[in-house]
Amino acid sequence: MIDAPGSADPVLTPNKTEVAFKAWLRRLVTGAAELEAFDAGEIDAVMDRDSGCAHMLPEAQSALHASSRVPLSMFDALPGEVCLLDASGLVLMVNKAWRASGTRHGRAGLDVRAGENFFAACGDAPESERTNADAVAAGLRSVLGGLRQSLRVRYVCSSQRARSTFALTMTATSAQVPVNALLTREWESDPGLKRYRITPAAPAGVENRLLAALPAKDYARLEGDLEPVKVTYGEILYEPGDRMRHVYFPDNCLVSLLTLVEGHRALEVGLVGREGMIGVRLALGGSESPVRALVQGTGTALRMNAERFVREFHRSQTLQRVLLQFADRLMGQVSQTAACNRFHVVDARLARWLLLTADRMRSATFHLTHGFIADMLGVRREGVTVAAVALQRRGIIRYRRGNITVLDRKGLEAASCSCYRNLKLMDTEIP
Amino acid sequence: MARSERAVASKRMKKGVAAESGTTVVVMRLYIAGRAPNSVKAIANLDAICRQHFKAGYKLEIVDVCEYPRRALDDGILVTPSLAKTSPSPGANVIGNLSDTSSVLAALGVRSASAT
Repeated sequence: MIDAPGSADPVLTPNKTEVAFKAWLRRLVTGAAELEAFDAGEIDAVMDRDSGCAHMLPEAQSALHASSRVPLSMFDALPGEVCLLDASGLVLMVNKAWRASGTRHGRAGLDVRAGENFFAACGDAPESERTNADAVAAGLRSVLGGLRQSLRVRYVCSSQRARSTFALTMTATSAQVPVNALLTREWESDPGLKRYRITPAAPAGVENRLLAALPAKDYARLEGDLEPVKVTYGEILYEPGDRMRHVYFPDNCLVSLLTLVEGHRALEVGLVGREGMIGVRLALGGSESPVRALVQGTGTALRMNAERFVREFHRSQTLQRVLLQFADRLMGQVSQTAACNRFHVVDARLARWLLLTADRMRSATFHLTHGFIADMLGVRREGVTVAAVALQRRGIIRYRRGNITVLDRKGLEAASCSCYRNLKLMDTEIP
Repeated sequence: MARSERAVASKRMKKGVAAESGTTVVVMRLYIAGRAPNSVKAIANLDAICRQHFKAGYKLEIVDVCEYPRRALDDGILVTPSLAKTSPSPGANVIGNLSDTSSVLAALGVRSASAT
């Protein structure tokens, strides 16, 4: 009979992230027998119901991967910073460039080392970097879970005396088990990597994320032409075929893009808030609106004359990059919405739509009638009523005289289809 | 790796009753995590127990949760290694690397007198 492992010498000495990761795994375990075996060191892996995957304990990971470290050391020859992970987020290796830059940056910015767990490192990130670290962890989960092939996230190390920023690209690897993901880190301050650089000017008071992503001098050139306007619920900015005289950069308003098909109700294909703009088609060479742009949430926007906008677009490379990235994300959103409208049931779509609206409005309460929502989802009003009543009965939302309040966000996320997660991930990409 | 293990470990038995002894065949499922140390031990320990105590026959399926996490979750598995006896009823579970032979045998319904 083979003995219990007892104090078999571990390949790695436990460190802070490892201990935290193990403590987190222990919290997933319920049941006396399971906990007893866990504490006796007889457990290799713990199932995570939320993500649907198995997480290996640090001891099991190190035993498994001890033999695979040698050949991976060839990555040391690469000039770029590389980090390899297995399916549970265990760092199999980081190359020489990663280690060197990590030391240079005072080990800030998720600077993991082989044997640590990347998710645990995200959990250990300083409070000031919490949003960034959560976005990275969520992104990595989607890459490891096969939802996305690759994802790029911008991370600001605000805990350092001198703020530094890097872009982290996470890519799924298909073959070569046990390597499941490859991360590359590009610091914006490093020489030779300037081409990735987006200088965050973010002048105080600029709510719109596209404008905030522009360098100070580019923004200054636009500033004189940006006119603050108030737009109200139900207002139509363009009808399909209208010549677009202005573009709008929403501050805190929300605009739905609707497609009209003869003989049917309008159907929402996109939703734009402070992360985007209305009229991006002008940048792509069109002059007429392909959709109806309908204000869904009252608020303010910065408006700019279309001709001035096109001129500035051709002049500024940064503006081009920022807007083309937005156009790409909008296209992603439109295609995801199209598929969602075709395949998912009204209840899940309503939940998805309420979540997106709440995110963009940055508020848990908003005013919307059933008829309006029916237009957005392309269903009959009765369908919306049934779905809304169902959500209300479960205590997830409260609906009173057109005012919707999200009471249980987690419950709403659970009720929503996977499209919400995908759409949210698009929003977390840079800028 | 895990696939070949499963093939080796799955003893093909006649369903239901073992021919010569007339006793009911024990059907078990062992959930493991790849080649992790406790999982390897659990397979070896269970193999030794089966050779000694289930000469009449047994049926064992090995599920690697790294490959089939969804299946483990659906079966209510929380940690691995984890052994589930599915037949004959009542079902039973043993958690850990199965080094405590007597508790494994008790869970599998083998009288303690026959345990060595």
